Amino acid sequence: MSKLVFRYFFDFMNGQERWLNRMDEYGLRLRRCGKITYIFDKCQPNQYEYKIEFVGHKTYSQAKEYRRYLENMGFRTFTKNINLNFSFGKVKWRPYAAGWGRIAASPGGFNKELLILEKKRDGKPFELHTDLADKVDIYKRVMRVYTWAALMILLSGVMTFMPNISSLSDGVLLAVRIILLTGGGLILIPLVKYFRLVQCFKEEGKIYE
Amino acid sequence: MGVIIIRDNIKGGALTETTFLVLLAVYQPNHGYGIMQFIDKETNGRVVLGAGTLYGAINTLVKKKWIDSYDDDAGSKKKEYVITDVGRQKAEEELQRLREVVKLASVIMSGGNSE
Repeated sequence: MSKLVFRYFFDFMNGQERWLNRMDEYGLRLRRCGKITYIFDKCQPNQYEYKIEFVGHKTYSQAKEYRRYLENMGFRTFTKNINLNFSFGKVKWRPYAAGWGRIAASPGGFNKELLILEKKRDGKPFELHTDLADKVDIYKRVMRVYTWAALMILLSGVMTFMPNISSLSDGVLLAVRIILLTGGGLILIPLVKYFRLVQCFKEEGKIYE
Repeated sequence: MGVIIIRDNIKGGALTETTFLVLLAVYQPNHGYGIMQFIDKETNGRVVLGAGTLYGAINTLVKKKWIDSYDDDAGSKKKEYVITDVGRQKAEEELQRLREVVKLASVIMSGGNSE
């Protein structure tokens, strides 16, 4: 028996990961996922564990090679989108990738910024990044995604105050500003959370590897 | 994965434990999962490398030519790696450095003088 769930995560890393692991505790194993959909199969509770890996900064071929490597390691993998991109048709700009960012097209890395990894529970901890410098690096990349999204929202907010650009009525303008403010707040929460994590790992990194 | 800084050119020359253990794991040709198991077994579970961290370490070491791909079995799906001459030299230097640190620590901690 399968179960379809609609869900969107503003905290696409740790939040999504916690939720998938909680679903496993209820005896639901991920079978497939779409943009905002997850299809689960019924299974024995506490059989599998999930981890989310961010690959949005990689080229399509790098991400594909990394996925192959992880599958050879024995993990089951799924690709997932984060929806914090700036797209035009089937082309997305990922400004958070190194330098001037990266373009993702379809077919290719479009909507595949995340990898969901599944492992059978074996009593051993399921960690993808065990080196402090490595943890700092990956969370910094995630922070860049949120920072860009926050900047874009801020820019959109500023534009609503420009009389020559915005010809919307006052009521609509207010609604747009409320939506932008809410969206900004929802993005700032994970941004602050990941910032604190990075600081914490940096502190640890002064003493331990 | 993130770039793992290999501190071979920083004063003191200490390698990270991850780097040193990966080098040791490929004295015989080994693939990713094998490297992970080797480190887990040989350190009695003290060091368990995450797959992402290991991937970054392997790529960095390949780029620096300290390890290389080993294609003995073309049909094998898993990529194997083996240490290069440069890698062996770096591992030997690290062993020497560790010996010196252990010697210093032993003398000081047993109440002796390092001079």
